[in-house]
Amino acid sequence: MKLLHKTTLYYVIISIPLVGLAAFLSYFVIKSEIKNGAEEVLYTDFQNAKKIIRSFNLPQNIILSSDGLSKIILSNKPLDKTILKDTTIFDPIEKETIEYSILKSNYTYKNQLYQIDIVKNNIEDDELLEGLWSGFGILLLLLGAAFLLLNWITSKSIWKPFYKTIQQLENYDIKKHDNFQLESVSIYEFNQLNATLNTMTHKIQDDFNQHKEFTENASHEMQTPLAVIKANLSLLMQSSNLSEGEMNSIEAIENTVKKLSALNRTLLLLTKIDNQQFSENTNIDLTIICKNILDSNAEIISAKELILEIDFKEKLEVTMNETLAEILVSNLIQNAFRHNVQGGKLELITSRNSLSISNSGDPLSIPESDLFVRFRKSETTSESMGLGLSLVKSVVDVYRYTIRYEFSNNLHTFKLTF
Amino acid sequence: MKILLIEDEQSLRESIELYLKIEGFLIETAIDFISASQKLADYQYDCVLVDITLPYGNGLDLIRQVKEQQLNVGIIIISAKNSIDDRIIGLDLGADDYLSKPFSLAELNSRIKSVIRRNNFDGKNTIQLNEICIVPEERSVKINDEKVVLTAKEYDLLLFFVMNKNRVVSKNTIAEHLWGDDSDQMDSHDFIYVHLRNLKKKLAEKGCKDYIQNIYGIGYNFNLEV
Repeated sequence: MKLLHKTTLYYVIISIPLVGLAAFLSYFVIKSEIKNGAEEVLYTDFQNAKKIIRSFNLPQNIILSSDGLSKIILSNKPLDKTILKDTTIFDPIEKETIEYSILKSNYTYKNQLYQIDIVKNNIEDDELLEGLWSGFGILLLLLGAAFLLLNWITSKSIWKPFYKTIQQLENYDIKKHDNFQLESVSIYEFNQLNATLNTMTHKIQDDFNQHKEFTENASHEMQTPLAVIKANLSLLMQSSNLSEGEMNSIEAIENTVKKLSALNRTLLLLTKIDNQQFSENTNIDLTIICKNILDSNAEIISAKELILEIDFKEKLEVTMNETLAEILVSNLIQNAFRHNVQGGKLELITSRNSLSISNSGDPLSIPESDLFVRFRKSETTSESMGLGLSLVKSVVDVYRYTIRYEFSNNLHTFKLTF
Repeated sequence: MKILLIEDEQSLRESIELYLKIEGFLIETAIDFISASQKLADYQYDCVLVDITLPYGNGLDLIRQVKEQQLNVGIIIISAKNSIDDRIIGLDLGADDYLSKPFSLAELNSRIKSVIRRNNFDGKNTIQLNEICIVPEERSVKINDEKVVLTAKEYDLLLFFVMNKNRVVSKNTIAEHLWGDDSDQMDSHDFIYVHLRNLKKKLAEKGCKDYIQNIYGIGYNFNLEV
């Protein structure tokens, strides 16, 4: 439920009893006001009646109102006191009891005692209620309409910066290096929100950049010590009086250095791909890259006696960075070499927008979901670092391609869709 | 042959110096940008080995300086940054080669020699070692004036041995030389063995002595003193 709908709902929920209470109170206030008003009218009429009496030449009875209830009558017995009261009288015409206010008092003029009765019918309760209810009903409707209007206006104007902020946040990609900056707005709270988000994203971006730089720098810094080890090994190897055991140790160190530097190189490459440092795109025919890689690995293919099945129906042109294209295809093909069996199959098939690379081999020894995870490797190929397929995944992610793995008929297949 | 080695890492500098001295090169060293710039201004070198990241400056600027002042000098970049941009910029500035760390000294030695060879002879030049005659520009090999037909890998292997004659060269170094970064993707030692066997056979057929010695299985020595 949208915030605005929720607040409107609350307004409405609170308004109904409040308007009801207001109507209830208004009823009594209006009623008492009417009563006061009615009394004043009675007294005014009473004064008027006195004026009428003073205009008499002769004492006489007189009827003041058309219903015959207000009248001036000659009297011999004075009232104990002025009577002011409410009473109900049954109206045979309307067939209902009607409330009346009555003022009875004496007045003596030219030694003649008069009794003045002033009777006024009050506004009926149900009429009053009816009026009140319809009045407050209209008020409630108007309030509702006002809320809706307010809702619409606020969402259009006041909440606009908020929605804009959300949209900018949704589009924010930490890897894209774009300078994230939310504008300052006139509403204090939103301004504060934007300022906080700006500070926060800048902090995150800084941390992210530092982290990236660290990986890159660490990899770079490791190259020189590795070069030192390697150079000293070369020197050591030249000694004429080394024993076989010492030579074996040198070889072991050299192999390890080689692995370390390959690892380092791959990590650096992964970082560079993730940092999108390969941005220059060109149109590339992947089938040509495939052929080149197969050509340069002819030795492996013949040594492993692989049966090549190549089905390049047409050119497979993609727009991507040349280095990344080579990394992508080369790692998939190397993977197919590495996990192949002696005399196994190697299939390369293209379609208009896809490339499938299949190889024979035993079923996966790791869960399929771990295929693209860094440093995850099957035990059978301990020479592998487990980074080849994560390189593939990184490139695939950069270009938002898809890669699917499937295993059927003892054939592992990676299908790239562009 | 005079070489200037510009490298700030002491241990690496010393190893390279030692290795190349045995090779018969005259080595001068510089440990930072300022001393390197001074030496380049004062002396003439046949080859300059320059690290990109140096104290007080960038190796690329030294390449610019070399190219302004001296002709006929070979430049090899040795950098920890295996970045394509640096490589392209360096080669555009006139560097002859780019070697990213970590490299083997045998590889460096072979690169220096081919850079110097290319710079010092115009047209044909040959490498003569006893009965072996190599013409690098033609990638051809003759034994006792008789042509030997070698595959690309066999030729590269022979040239690498000749460049590092009388030295122990490990299989890993050979693999890196022949296949570059791809060498760790495969069982390269087996491939070296196959190529080496074929090479030895072809050389022996033309009456070449078997100079290639196996050293405890870790590598080989192209030993002219057999």
